[in-house]
Amino acid sequence: MLRKLKRTNKFLVEPPAVATGDIAFNLIVFFLVCASIQPDSGHKQTIPRSETQNEKKENEPQNIEVQLTRTSVLINGATVAIPDLAGQLRSLFSGKTLPEDRIVVVKSQKDTPYRHWIDVTTRIEDAGGVITLQIEEERQVQLPNE
Amino acid sequence: MKISRRPTRIEIPNTAMGDIAFNLLIFFVILARAQDDSHLHWDPAYAEKLASAGQSSVSVLVDSENKLYLNGQEIGISQLSDRIEELLGKAPAGKRTVWLKVHQEILAQRFEPILEAVSEAGGDLVHILEDKKKPSK
Repeated sequence: MLRKLKRTNKFLVEPPAVATGDIAFNLIVFFLVCASIQPDSGHKQTIPRSETQNEKKENEPQNIEVQLTRTSVLINGATVAIPDLAGQLRSLFSGKTLPEDRIVVVKSQKDTPYRHWIDVTTRIEDAGGVITLQIEEERQVQLPNE
Repeated sequence: MKISRRPTRIEIPNTAMGDIAFNLLIFFVILARAQDDSHLHWDPAYAEKLASAGQSSVSVLVDSENKLYLNGQEIGISQLSDRIEELLGKAPAGKRTVWLKVHQEILAQRFEPILEAVSEAGGDLVHILEDKKKPSK
């Protein structure tokens, strides 16, 4: 007589609970590191090397001058609304294909905040302008004692 | 009668070796981030059409208290250009990226000499900004 053998030995496999704390700790550290090394986003800007200019040369081509105050922008001395800046510059650049013809001299007042400066300079670059900074140098001159 | 001592075998548990190695690895990865300026407080300015800032070994930061830092260490404006030049060394063009992180309210009289110093040192300037479309706060 054939008798069906019933398997009685059941294997009990349980995940080792001892390492749960370690696993949780490692996961926390891993995600913390991942969160802290998020890639930054930025805006590349090419600014030419500085040179000292004492006097304006006569034969020098006239560059567009953008002046920045704390809240406003002036193109060649005329106030422009910030949203219209790119459009006005594009019309001034029309017919100018060479980068040296599209130089924009940016002059900022001392109290111009960085957020305003970045907003304006990115708009100039979007319009196709090449930014050059004009920074006034402060010099202390000692007068001889008389 | 002399009772001989049975030597007890003590073994270091090697179950946790993997975990220990992993934790050490993470620890040294964090330490290796030499230019850590994450402890400094600054709010970036906003702009559109931003790209990835890429990799850089030089990070210049002006915090909300108007203090200047180079790779997390406070520095004076007069030393900045030379120190950047030193850090960039003879790196070829395209690998001379300098990250500039300026608090959005800092004034031109402070940040313009920094731009000049980076340009003097021959660095490729990348302004670290926040995307206008998705502000973090």
